[in-house]
Amino acid sequence: MAGAPGGGGPGPAAGEPLLQRRDSGPGSPEPPAHGKPQQGFLSGFFTRDQSCPLMLQKTLETNPYVKVLLDAMKHSGCAVNKERHFSCEDCDGNVSGGFDASASQIVLCQNNIRNQAHMSRVVTHELIHAFDHCRAHVHWFTDVRHLACSEIRAASLSGDCSLVNEIFRLRFGLRRHHQTCVRDRAALSILAVRNISREEAQKAVDDVFESCFNDREPFGRIPHTKTYARYAHRDFQNRDRYYSNI
Amino acid sequence: MAVAGSWQASMLGSWPPRPCEVYRAEWELCRSAGHILHHYYVHGERPDCRQWLRDLASCLEWEESHSPQAQRSLCESEQARVQAARKHTLVWALRQKPPADWNLPLPLEKDK
Repeated sequence: MAGAPGGGGPGPAAGEPLLQRRDSGPGSPEPPAHGKPQQGFLSGFFTRDQSCPLMLQKTLETNPYVKVLLDAMKHSGCAVNKERHFSCEDCDGNVSGGFDASASQIVLCQNNIRNQAHMSRVVTHELIHAFDHCRAHVHWFTDVRHLACSEIRAASLSGDCSLVNEIFRLRFGLRRHHQTCVRDRAALSILAVRNISREEAQKAVDDVFESCFNDREPFGRIPHTKTYARYAHRDFQNRDRYYSNI
Repeated sequence: MAVAGSWQASMLGSWPPRPCEVYRAEWELCRSAGHILHHYYVHGERPDCRQWLRDLASCLEWEESHSPQAQRSLCESEQARVQAARKHTLVWALRQKPPADWNLPLPLEKDK
């Protein structure tokens, strides 16, 4: 998914190169790292020297967004194995990661992921693609509407379009701005892997937006912060009791 | 929580769908300043949190007295939530089983 190269420049950059990988088909790339690490007490931004595998391990063990996705995927028959389903690689361009459906693997671009918080967001984003791949017949390579749908969901549910992240990108907006961000980032993600026009990408996003924006699985809500993700995890663990008592 | 022996409890299941403290937590989250901001950022309006409060009251009444009205009210509320989440037609077809190649070894050219 295209974004400002290197750091949070305003607005998206067109023409981001495809996720470069040996013989891989077009995956669903994640936007590049945004801007400088935050100043302050947020420890997730002070891990610049951590390796990709270490940051990945911490994300898998502690991040509540990821916990929901891992549990949901296991429930759907796609238990995630760190060694098999993740790969830390150096990538061309500014892409942060991608999901390779042909290999059932998430690629993490270690040269473009700079801190723990960003790692968590990239992993969440790509796991949403993996989750969609697991639960549905997603025609990644042959139906741009399917690709658009998964990108809408990933942009909306991963924290990509949180108010804070948009402010870091110098994209200011409040009322219903989340939806604007989701539409824009989904279209750019499509353009990063498909040789189609901007208008075609936006049309695909518009065609499926209503359905896909409202598909909040496996969270059941838009997890705006870790608190929402923890509540979603609680609800997922409680689902048997829930569905047998309504 | 008193369970079984009561015909009301066996009629609609022994438990509220969620523990009552969850309804309280959801209501408190809903009316928090942070959520009002997030909701406005997504939907362009303030959230309506009244249903969580009604559900909390129904849940407490369910637990305390096994009132059939409370059980019905709470179940209808939750069914409405489930229906609202499912009302949009999916873009793709759901699988009956997971992808067959999910756990297969990586293709040779990608293997490290």
